[in-house]
Amino acid sequence: MIVLVLALFVTPFVPKARADSTVSREYQVKAAFLYNFMNFVDWPEEKSSDSNEPIIVGIIGSDPFGGAFEPVKNKKVKGKNVVIRRFEGLKEQKESDENDQEIEAIRECHVLFICRSEEKKLKKTINLVKENNVLTVSDIEGFPEAGGIINFVMEDQKVRFEINVTAAKRAKVKIRSQLLRLAKRVVEEEPSDEAKS
Amino acid sequence: MSSRGDVLTGKFIFVLMLLVLFGSDARLLAEQQDANNKKDFFEMSIEELMEVPIVVSASRLPTRLQYLSAPVTVITAEDIHYSGLTTIPEILQFSPGVDVRRLDRQRYIVGVRGLFGMYSDRTLVLIDGRPATDPIHGTTHWEKLPILIEDIERIEIVRGPVGAAWGANAFTGVINIITKKPDQCLGGLASTTVSEFGDTYTHLRYGHRQGQWSWKVSAGYEDVEDSDAAGAGRYHSSSYTATGFDSYTARDWGRLWKFDTQAEYRLNDVTRLSFGAAHSSAQEGDFEFMGYFPRRDVLTEYTRLFARLDHQFDNDTSGYIQWFGNFWNTHCRVITEQMRYLQNDIEGQINFKPAENHNISVGGNVRWNRIQTDNYSLISENIVGDDDEYWGGIFLMDRWSVTNRLTLEGQIRVDHYSETTTDWSTRLAALYALDEQQNHILRLSFARAFRSPCLILRNLNFTNLSGVTVFTPTADVHNEGTYTLEAGYSGKLSDNLQLNVDGYYQRFERLFGLVITPDPPPPPMVYATFKNIDGANAYGVECSLTYHNSKGRLTAWYAYNGLATDQIDQSTRSFPPASHKAGLTGRVFLNADWTLNSNYVFQNGVPYDPSLIGGLHSFNRLDLTLSRKFAKGKGELVVGVSDVLNETTDPVFEAGHFTALETPGRMLFARLQLKF
Repeated sequence: MIVLVLALFVTPFVPKARADSTVSREYQVKAAFLYNFMNFVDWPEEKSSDSNEPIIVGIIGSDPFGGAFEPVKNKKVKGKNVVIRRFEGLKEQKESDENDQEIEAIRECHVLFICRSEEKKLKKTINLVKENNVLTVSDIEGFPEAGGIINFVMEDQKVRFEINVTAAKRAKVKIRSQLLRLAKRVVEEEPSDEAKS
Repeated sequence: MSSRGDVLTGKFIFVLMLLVLFGSDARLLAEQQDANNKKDFFEMSIEELMEVPIVVSASRLPTRLQYLSAPVTVITAEDIHYSGLTTIPEILQFSPGVDVRRLDRQRYIVGVRGLFGMYSDRTLVLIDGRPATDPIHGTTHWEKLPILIEDIERIEIVRGPVGAAWGANAFTGVINIITKKPDQCLGGLASTTVSEFGDTYTHLRYGHRQGQWSWKVSAGYEDVEDSDAAGAGRYHSSSYTATGFDSYTARDWGRLWKFDTQAEYRLNDVTRLSFGAAHSSAQEGDFEFMGYFPRRDVLTEYTRLFARLDHQFDNDTSGYIQWFGNFWNTHCRVITEQMRYLQNDIEGQINFKPAENHNISVGGNVRWNRIQTDNYSLISENIVGDDDEYWGGIFLMDRWSVTNRLTLEGQIRVDHYSETTTDWSTRLAALYALDEQQNHILRLSFARAFRSPCLILRNLNFTNLSGVTVFTPTADVHNEGTYTLEAGYSGKLSDNLQLNVDGYYQRFERLFGLVITPDPPPPPMVYATFKNIDGANAYGVECSLTYHNSKGRLTAWYAYNGLATDQIDQSTRSFPPASHKAGLTGRVFLNADWTLNSNYVFQNGVPYDPSLIGGLHSFNRLDLTLSRKFAKGKGELVVGVSDVLNETTDPVFEAGHFTALETPGRMLFARLQLKF
């Protein structure tokens, strides 16, 4: 009883923290998934040889994550720092020097999350990085069929994911069996012509 | 002395106070929790993020439920929470293949696939993989485990022998209670349950994270009124010729304080230290045994400590080393003044990938049990004596993904026990996915395990109070042995429908039982000794069908567990399984705030065991709860009725009891819970 009474009087004075309410719980969870994926993916030597280089996570399009990646700042994956870079979507206008620089920066990424705002330019975005050993991730319906590697899907209000192993092989990104086992669906198909372009 | 009505009024006022004090700060409490959740996600594994039930009890490595080398049922924190129940055995009884019977208001006997009793250690009980079994009696004192219900992350029930993973006594199964880690308990929790009989169960918890430290502290108090106060408690005698039992008064009450704290310190991204200290302090009423009450006004102190170092060497190699100590001291007023044990164990495990698709774990442990008993006045003999026991075990297991569809798992373990001999255990399993999506998985497995008789079975040495039965120590002790053949199917029939079917044949060898010798005849003087007698054959099938969607889930299950001893009337000093068991558990999220939960189980009766005096009754049990969340989900009020169908529960004559008492059945209860 003493403990109860003490608790009753002490707990109201415990300091409260405020949450970042602008980021949905769904994308907080998806951010944590992205962080976890990096532990189960091996990039080819040319992409991972320099131990001082960080692992770059790119977010292209209208960023739904907000501050969800803040906790990653102090973390390392495979002994490397993790850097988050944000990109506007691919532009329709003719290529400029500035645009070229952004494309090069996108191609440097280890992980590229393609936001839903890029749905209409999905195929183009995937093609942009398909030769550059980039783990492409999205939550756009039909993403694996369009040649993307990992796609988030919601099931029973829980986050699940699908993996296109053919796309991963083409990108020379090796996905470990532990991750494959957890996938809701493992796809082995080339991108279809009907896929979103 | 206050009346029961006054006590209840006081408890409800207390609940109301909690509501007022915490509810007024609900908005800030909600924000705190959201912030905590956000921090949590990056500490979680993918499996945790997916909320996929991940099981460690079958092979000591986290593995998806569908890919286990043994049949396992997982009771989740959500199942526990919405059941409204406050005792672990009551929660367990709604799972396939688990036998549970209630002895009195506090005590239960629990076994997986039978061969269970109060002094039976054939089902190994673990808390976070550390044993929770009393080495003197070989049993688990469920009510005294220093663990609070809302601190349980999940309970894994492995059906079948898994000695290759956990060593001796994982004989008919394992029940592993996994607790929530500090990072899963950030913020505060206040929960109190009150029953119509005046029972209370209160739990306060606070978890915090600062820098590299995270910790949680839980404290609770449980007050269980006796059966008399709850409108039951009528005594029954096992002997129809005996008289005077009508005058007995059920004093099966309990007052328990429980405390549990855990802390984690992250040295860096790959190294983590964790510590824990848990304690329960129990004061309890009477418990009849062999014609008198050895447990009259018993005081028990139970402490569990651990320290563990986890390290990730590289992407494919990880390991841990831990020490744990379990310390028990019971002060009885009749038989023994003190009965205590000190259990110390050092254990290590390393997991690595020597080749593609091979996951290997190796490890081992050494354990020292020191057992001490100090006698009291009524009996001059030393019942079990003092004892030092030593254990040592090593294990090796390999999980080999041969192809995308085929996985082979092999486990082997060798244990040495100073009181019997060196023995070994194994489990070999093949898992094959029938389809590329791995929705339909077949399992074939073989396992061998053993059980080492506990101290009281080897050394029991006393004459009961009536002077007619003399227990003598066992001269020739051997481990009990078992092997099993299993086949299972796990199928995802659709996105919402899951079917599991498991069948088994299990052979038992050298089962311990009670041998009674009328020497010299005629009785009443008899001599009793526990001995390895003979074997038994067990066989059965367990199946479950689960449907779930965003509105809730429904599971229907059935288990047939048969057991036949080699000899007619062979004593196994335990109960065989209830052959037919069935259950229906369901939960409906009526909307964001309202949840309706229902648990139903049927277990049929069990015939007499000659060493146990009596058999077991069949029973139906139905529990219903209705939960209402408020204050943005940070507050919750639950009202429920347990055992709707029965006003009282029949007595259970367990080993050594001349009497047993009926316990209350139907019970109304309410719980108020607040998070902050």
